[in-house]
Amino acid sequence: MAEHVTCQEVVELVTDYLEHALQADEAALFEQHINFCDGCEWYLDQMRTTVAAVGRIDEEDVPRETRDKLLAAFRDWKRG
Amino acid sequence: MIAYKFLRRDGSSVFTGFRWPLPDGAPGAWVDAPVDPCRSGIHACLPAGLPYWIGRSLYEVELAGDIVEEPTKLVASRARLLRAVTAWNDGLRDEYTRMCADRAHSLALGASPPLGEWDAVIEPSVAEGPALLGFVAARIAEERHGIDAYNAERARQTAWLVERLGLQDAAAS
Amino acid sequence: MTRIGVQHSKASADEAELVARLRAGDERAFEALVARHYGTMLAVAQTYVKTRAVAEEVVQEAWLGLLQSLDRFEGRSSLKTWILAILVNKAKTRGVREARSVPFASLAPEGDERAIAPERFRGPQDGFPGHWRAYPGNWGATPQVALEDRETLRVAMRAIAALPVAQQTVIRMRDVEGYGSDEVCAALEVSAANQRVLLHRARSRVRAALEAHLDG
Repeated sequence: MAEHVTCQEVVELVTDYLEHALQADEAALFEQHINFCDGCEWYLDQMRTTVAAVGRIDEEDVPRETRDKLLAAFRDWKRG
Repeated sequence: MIAYKFLRRDGSSVFTGFRWPLPDGAPGAWVDAPVDPCRSGIHACLPAGLPYWIGRSLYEVELAGDIVEEPTKLVASRARLLRAVTAWNDGLRDEYTRMCADRAHSLALGASPPLGEWDAVIEPSVAEGPALLGFVAARIAEERHGIDAYNAERARQTAWLVERLGLQDAAAS
Repeated sequence: MTRIGVQHSKASADEAELVARLRAGDERAFEALVARHYGTMLAVAQTYVKTRAVAEEVVQEAWLGLLQSLDRFEGRSSLKTWILAILVNKAKTRGVREARSVPFASLAPEGDERAIAPERFRGPQDGFPGHWRAYPGNWGATPQVALEDRETLRVAMRAIAALPVAQQTVIRMRDVEGYGSDEVCAALEVSAANQRVLLHRARSRVRAALEAHLDG
């Protein structure tokens, strides 16, 4: 069993950690590493910030043609 | 069960940010968290685990309820902070850091040939603090003599902490 | 867990209001709903059918299907879950008709993709192999404003739009829309492990784009 993980390994484990998908012993090694390594603590924070930023995406452009078709369909549905 | 827990300076948990009820003359309030591996539960450690979890503030903690023992830590469903281990202050942190740095140097330079690349890493790491230096010293020991040496170096660190923090009474448990 | 619970009850209150407005024929509400979910619906559809053009048709059909069955929506599941079910149903039907030659297994992550280039870590000959050569930025020290402004959001959106379809679909469903992991695996018919790999790669790429934007 490994006694420690490297930064290079940590950056590949981040998502599994946030998903609570690491085994208990791997999670402990991950947290031990985060505890002493500022670089990886900041990287974990960057990933959390990334997820939060993506979560703020609320609306995107719909192609004009699609929008018009759907609006027409909505009006038909209203009438019917 | 008596154990130990490092918190951030403001009394919040290192990984979850949870704000602990701090002891103030009397123990802090009990906190409950069902034990669910990797998901929830209160983390603490025995003296042997201290070097792995080095943080800013150290507390003596009482654990109750379901307690799961893992290699370097304990996970409990119920806990309260008994007292701050005030001996763990900035001065002692710096002393511990220097102790680990000195150990790391002597391990790196004592190797034959010397582990020069490792030696160069030590001083620049000092500013990052005791947790990192503890790891560096143990890692260099591992480079020289394998995983048993890593564990032995960690045990050395524990012994230093137990003595300087006055945890002898608890060390037996 | 509390945070997610709070989002849930706010979401269901918002949804009830939205459904009421749709039933009342509120065009703005419909347009807003379409705009909010369009990107993700298109991505999900593209995992089932061959071309983007067909995927766009599938999405339109799904919205029609939603309107036609709006009377039957009772709010027992969330609107999001319901829309997804209609969409997947339409996409699968169309996919079968199109005799989609690309099997679902193509959603399996391919090859080896690293979150961070190996050169950014110390090598086996260096002391401390595998450690960062130079630490990544401490965004916790970055003013909140920079992290929350529209330009940062646009960078994230562009990064997502540039992702391979499978990665884009997973990050949209999980992180943009907030579907749970089980729901995503069921809708895309991927294993939990594969879903995590796709999510990991997608998030890593978006992080890299944000890093380039924030740290220069």
